[in-house]
Amino acid sequence: MTKGLKSITHIARKVGGVRNLLFILLAALLGLTILLDIRVVEKIFDPLVYLYLAVGIVVALYVIPPLYTSRRLVQYYWQRARRNRLAVVGLAFILFLILLAIIGPFLTADPTEINFEEKNLPPPGFTLQETVYHLETQQFITKTASGIWEHPLGTDNKGRDLLAMIISGARVSLLVGLFATGIAIVLGTLIGVISAYLGGKTDNVLMRFTDIMMTFPFFLLLVLIVFLFGPNLVFIVLVIGLTGWTGTARLIRSETLSLRTREFIMASKALGASDGRIILAHLIPNVVSLIIVIATLSIPGVILAEAALSFIGLGDPAVTSWGMVLRAGQQTLDTAWWVAVAPGIMLFLTVLAFNFVGDGLRDAFDPRSSV
Amino acid sequence: MKKTWLRDYIIKRLLYAVIIAWGVLTITFVLVRVGPTSPADKYLANLASRGQDAAQVIAAIEARYGLDQPIYEQYINYVFNLFRGDWGWSFSTSMPVMELIKTHWIYSFQLVLLSSIFAALLGISIGIYSAVRQYSKTDYIATFFSFIGISIPNFWLGVMLILLFSVQFGLFKTYYDTSIPLLSLANLKQLILPVITLGTGMLAGYTRYTRSAMLDNLRKEFVRTARAKGLPERTVIGKHVFRNAILPLITIIMFDLGSIVFGGAYLTEIVFGIPGLGRISFNAIFADDYAVVVTVTLISAFLILMINLITDITYTYLDPRIRYD
Repeated sequence: MTKGLKSITHIARKVGGVRNLLFILLAALLGLTILLDIRVVEKIFDPLVYLYLAVGIVVALYVIPPLYTSRRLVQYYWQRARRNRLAVVGLAFILFLILLAIIGPFLTADPTEINFEEKNLPPPGFTLQETVYHLETQQFITKTASGIWEHPLGTDNKGRDLLAMIISGARVSLLVGLFATGIAIVLGTLIGVISAYLGGKTDNVLMRFTDIMMTFPFFLLLVLIVFLFGPNLVFIVLVIGLTGWTGTARLIRSETLSLRTREFIMASKALGASDGRIILAHLIPNVVSLIIVIATLSIPGVILAEAALSFIGLGDPAVTSWGMVLRAGQQTLDTAWWVAVAPGIMLFLTVLAFNFVGDGLRDAFDPRSSV
Repeated sequence: MKKTWLRDYIIKRLLYAVIIAWGVLTITFVLVRVGPTSPADKYLANLASRGQDAAQVIAAIEARYGLDQPIYEQYINYVFNLFRGDWGWSFSTSMPVMELIKTHWIYSFQLVLLSSIFAALLGISIGIYSAVRQYSKTDYIATFFSFIGISIPNFWLGVMLILLFSVQFGLFKTYYDTSIPLLSLANLKQLILPVITLGTGMLAGYTRYTRSAMLDNLRKEFVRTARAKGLPERTVIGKHVFRNAILPLITIIMFDLGSIVFGGAYLTEIVFGIPGLGRISFNAIFADDYAVVVTVTLISAFLILMINLITDITYTYLDPRIRYD
């Protein structure tokens, strides 16, 4: 028993702590389930559930513990950030959105349920006059449709509940935003730090590669890849994440360049720390505040990219996203204007909220600002 | 003295641009050719429906366009043809890619140009005013609206403008009309909504950058000196502060010019049905028209590279202290 425990601690030390070991095990488990899902049993989970699980694992292991261990620092930054009222409002909206995305679907109807009896219903308070051709009397008659509270945001031209679609869209947007940004940030940070720390040829190769990636028209590339390989939400997230790291890499690199000649790095080098350890234990923790700001400010771009993809018809047909609803709304602008208005407002408020929070965080982390 | 190092620098940068463009070309080429669909598939479906033998037709098409050769040979041929000025054949529109680009680039160009002028003129003016009257009511309003402008998704803004001004008020057509001559007032009128759609985000960005750059410079010592000399405020702001603040702004405006063609303008063109480069590349992607896709990507990359180079060279004239050796 003790022997088994000892070997576990030994392995744990090898990968850099129990937390990393736990992460590797959970990731392997998740990967195995995905493989099983694809190869053996069809549909254990939705693709979305895999993303939720992955986000959950990362948050539980790498976000909550550091926040807890450095409570006082978090409190200090919170005090600073709180003075920026817009940032607090933004944060409140994001939390509301997350809540909506988690519990909303249990409270509303199925967003894909079609009901032609109740098509094109405006939101309550609005009435709409519509001229339709009546088959029995063979005349054009004017029909008035008023909104009912069963559909607080109205319905679209297939009678689907707009509120349910909006809530489903919140799920998709948040997930794409958080997850794709996560991938891009991890890649960008690693490339930036490694490039700056190792310097020389590695730096040259990595930065030239970054240049090529930056020269690509980002959205065109996205459209091309998603069209070629099929519109699947998991795949869209991966593509946005794998192509969106260039800006992060540049910023992190320039920040690390000034860090790497500092005394504490020299000291750990003199003490015989390996390159990997210096990067993971000394360099990355020192750029964390920059990483958080970049991440918050790049989420809106990612959410917009996914929405734009869905808007032009390359969204995952299995889920209802804001861009898709907006696309449907654009085609029925003259009969049902609310269908195009609602998803756009949500998209706009979400982007605005992340921008507010990002700005607030930047000021809070900047020791020179007097906030 | 200056001439020689600048010339060397430009040559170096041009060589570098060629290498980067080659990288972009290669990646796009591989991506398109390795993708699961072949340009011949569309023809196959089309011709098979007319009762022709599919396999035979495919072989004929592939032989005609060299698609039956191994991919590296196709790649080499493509690059050689590119240098000879032959940019390939567009399957979906049945014309050379060069012709296609030639007839459509102007639509993107007019949109991007007008939007940039609109955004830059208005953005810089509001930014300066905002900075000079910092913490005034106007400043707060401008800051608030610039936040909104940055956050508003431009394709949604376009849809909303159509809803409000075209559908409700009937002021504009909902669709871009290509039969109207380019240099006419009617064309300018139908570009109003697209320009607002594309320009709002840029406008908000320029307002913010101008404001913060002006504020940074207003605190500098030379401004105090200029004021102490008794210069009129107009000269201090216009000549001393603005000249220093404009430099980083130029990078941003130029960068936007290069990237907006296939970013914001792409979606604006789709919303309003403007047949520019964004729209044709969008159609080309859906029609598996790979020659158009590769060419358009290459043009975009080249545009960005050249604009970056021009920006850096402009710098040396605006600020003679800058040298790139």
